[in-house]
Amino acid sequence: MSEPAGAGNRIVAGSFEGTWRDLAALEAPEASAFFVGSNIDALRAVWIHATHPGRETLVAAHSRKEAGLVEGLRVAGLATVDVDGDSVAVDPLPDPRPATPGRVWLLTSGSTGRPKHVAHTLESLTTVKGAQPPRTWLCPYTPGAYAWWQVTTLGLELADQAVVYVENDRLDDWAEIALEHGVDAASGTPTFWRQALMRSGDTLARIPFQQVTLGGEPVDQAVLDLLHEAFPSARVSWIYASSEAGASIAVHDGKAGFPEKWLGSEPREGRPRLSIDGDELVIASPHRGEGVDAELHTGDRVEIRDGRVLITGRLASDEINVGGSKVSASQVRETLLAHPGVAWANVKGRKAPLVGTVVTAEVVLADPATTEADLARWCAERLADYAVPRRFRVRDSIPIKESLKSDV
Amino acid sequence: MSQLSREQVRSMMSEVMAKQGKELPADDATPLDSFGFRSLDFSELALKVEDEVDEELNFDAPGLRSIRTIGDVLDFVQQLLEAEE
Repeated sequence: MSEPAGAGNRIVAGSFEGTWRDLAALEAPEASAFFVGSNIDALRAVWIHATHPGRETLVAAHSRKEAGLVEGLRVAGLATVDVDGDSVAVDPLPDPRPATPGRVWLLTSGSTGRPKHVAHTLESLTTVKGAQPPRTWLCPYTPGAYAWWQVTTLGLELADQAVVYVENDRLDDWAEIALEHGVDAASGTPTFWRQALMRSGDTLARIPFQQVTLGGEPVDQAVLDLLHEAFPSARVSWIYASSEAGASIAVHDGKAGFPEKWLGSEPREGRPRLSIDGDELVIASPHRGEGVDAELHTGDRVEIRDGRVLITGRLASDEINVGGSKVSASQVRETLLAHPGVAWANVKGRKAPLVGTVVTAEVVLADPATTEADLARWCAERLADYAVPRRFRVRDSIPIKESLKSDV
Repeated sequence: MSQLSREQVRSMMSEVMAKQGKELPADDATPLDSFGFRSLDFSELALKVEDEVDEELNFDAPGLRSIRTIGDVLDFVQQLLEAEE
């Protein structure tokens, strides 16, 4: 049995603290979909996959298990296995097929339709290569998500990369957990970071972050600036990654968007080729899932501003038609987020007489003295008249889903 | 559904204008275009009223086209509110 380079790395997950080698064994059919109750259960599934080359594996949280999905996975030849600590319930297939050695299946989020399963391998999921400085990473993501796999493969395949996992029901306490276990690097969505800075800023300030990474949602300049200010010693990076496209863009210069000159140029080995079709980002990534279009139309909207290509949001949900004038919800959102009194914002259209739809906004205030009139005035100075939100709703706290995104 | 008085609707209209640094004239006969009350402002007022009464109102009513003055707006909204009762 060969061992990955990170086999001796430290893992913290719930009450477990040890190395990959210390994880309890797991018995399951060679081609299995594991539905797990916690990170430690998920890591056991990853470890048997990593140390038994003939295996084919899918890992997902129990919360994702529903009848239609299970049926689809079984039709695709995966037995289902429920793992919850000592309890392991295998539902084998009556006529199992041979496993495809090394294959790892990821479920897409399903936010734009039924979840698909995308084929990867541990190698295609390991997007950070070469020697890295020793780090202790925080992984707040849900087991089985692409971002979870990225942090997990980092801890599995590279030496000196410890990982501290946070269960979903402990997310409110992640800063204390990170502090207790010596975390110095963390990856999360912009919503995750905004919420953390708002809620646990004092504790966060005591964490000696060397690396702060964002992804999974549009990354605006305001959140990058907040993180630079909060963690002056850290490198702040944002990445663009998905189950289908793979990890495709990594930007470390502290600015939103990526340099325009990256478009269309012949990439270095191992890097994706980036282009734009209309206002949609197109990616040809060597890290993409198997069977994914070589030139993947991502469905993400981009705009070029001051030599940077900004990824602003999903094309399908971005446009609001106000009396025949087109408004970009992401542009309004970005304008609101640039206001010093706003910690979080969400923008959408609402049915209204005469103009059909008007722009409305939900906000969480960083400064409670900020008024609706302040925000309307701020927007009016920066946006076309019809793009200024006409109704505001002030929320008490930043909404966050299991995916660490806010998509309310 | 909670009822709104004409004065309360006027006050909401005033708030819509105040957000833009404008003042709502005191005279109900004042034409809307004379103080810059536009379609979007009417839309905003409509949403404010809907939120207040927690009900979606039928703003597609024919009377909408003949609105010219502050008083017309207030009359129209009052009619809608009464129709919903």
